[in-house]
Amino acid sequence: MKKGLILTGLFVLVAGVVEAQQKKAQQAQPKKEQAVKQEEVMQVLKSGLSSDPRFAWKVQQDEAQRICSQYPSREEMPASAVQKVIQLSQAEIKYPQWGIYMGDWKEGKKLVDSPRGGRYASYGFSDKPTDKGGNCYACHLIEKGVPGGTMGPNLYQYGKRWNITKENLNSPETVEKIKSVYNIVYNSWSAFPCSSMPRFGYHGNLSPEDIANIVAYLLHPESPVNK
Amino acid sequence: MKKKLLLGVFTAGAIAGGLLSTKAFAQVEGEISPEEEMRLVQEFNKMLAEGVNPGEIWYEVGKEAIKKYHLDKCDLGLGPGVFKGAAAQLPRYFADAGKVMDLETRVGWCLQKYAGMTQDQVLKFVRQCWGKSGNCMSEYDGIIMYLTMESNGHKINVNLKDPHVKKMFEMGKQVYYTRLGPWDFNCATCHAGKKEVRIRATRLWSADRPGEAGGAVSIFPKYLVRWGMPMSMHYRYAECIRQMRWPEFIPHSDLGVALSTYMYGLANGTEIKAPGIGR
Repeated sequence: MKKGLILTGLFVLVAGVVEAQQKKAQQAQPKKEQAVKQEEVMQVLKSGLSSDPRFAWKVQQDEAQRICSQYPSREEMPASAVQKVIQLSQAEIKYPQWGIYMGDWKEGKKLVDSPRGGRYASYGFSDKPTDKGGNCYACHLIEKGVPGGTMGPNLYQYGKRWNITKENLNSPETVEKIKSVYNIVYNSWSAFPCSSMPRFGYHGNLSPEDIANIVAYLLHPESPVNK
Repeated sequence: MKKKLLLGVFTAGAIAGGLLSTKAFAQVEGEISPEEEMRLVQEFNKMLAEGVNPGEIWYEVGKEAIKKYHLDKCDLGLGPGVFKGAAAQLPRYFADAGKVMDLETRVGWCLQKYAGMTQDQVLKFVRQCWGKSGNCMSEYDGIIMYLTMESNGHKINVNLKDPHVKKMFEMGKQVYYTRLGPWDFNCATCHAGKKEVRIRATRLWSADRPGEAGGAVSIFPKYLVRWGMPMSMHYRYAECIRQMRWPEFIPHSDLGVALSTYMYGLANGTEIKAPGIGR
């Protein structure tokens, strides 16, 4: 009799805990209540931005941007959405004409240092159409002693940490490492879906050769990054 | 007496602010000696240390401009010409316009109604000092400064229970998170998240950390030392949007109102304290 009572008590307790956990899980993933429709949002957005035909292409969202816009952060994305963004991003990464190679880090440094490229307003403060750069110091600390942002990881001694030395510079392992870093700079969402980092190569802000040079700046043992 | 002091500060500030920009260096180069330059910048810093904000000059400019453009007829929600505390309850729904408007949009609407301006003329009026980095006095900036300062000390109180305002708040929130453009940016790229981060050397405020949205918007218009003039919220949107590599922002658009409703809605309860001062 007593045993039965204890068992029933335990059963009720467990059932209660399970129900509480289920409720918590439901609350953690609330149904997406759209108080305003996606089309309305895009309409308001487009009507508030210049309709200069030269820039019309800028307000066309691609599918990955559409997916990323639905969640405030990657942590709140369901696995299916994360996988979809990775899949879309890995699908089309363009490499330089000669394939993967260690670029010119001196040229890469110029692009990393430059905050210019793509900023236009009719009232002034505009970049030249030929300006380009990655504005990397906005979000990263890169060379020792140079002020940088903290939105992205600290890249100081990046090549050293990837274990790239003068001796193994031309090894197949190093080529694979160059490729991995190249993929991140070309399309950061292929490795970090919905990252704050712009997809520089995918959007054509930087050419494959530019990216090869930037990768060299990060990885080459002679680069100031690794000194 | 204070007016003279402020005028003096403004002149020093305008010259110093102008000097600090490369454009003005070319203009002033042959005219002022390096010693004179230094003296002006030091005087300017002294004024700042004494707690005088050059932005307050625009209060007087705005007061005159409101008379000039018949804006004493303008109803900001508390009645025509009632300005004390009016900015604190904006953005709000206006039945006569049939839409939600923030302070700047409402002023633009009133300029069309009572000063006979066309929409294009209003936009030109708004942008008259945009892109300039020194020695530019805008009547529009003055009007916005005056109207905001008349709410100094009042707590921001956007009525989120009004269905129109609530919808605009949601709209603003959705826009805030919309990834767009060739750099994949949205407002949340910089101004969201729990972690405290910097862009270069500047600490970024976040909509996800309580009180920070309030801290950011309650001090607008914000006097900027590098430009020697105050920056209004819509100019701030235009500059953010330029940095985001989006097409150019149109002032007084629903996009501006949506962003204002979202940010001022988050800022509810914060005391208005204009003008702020920044680099």
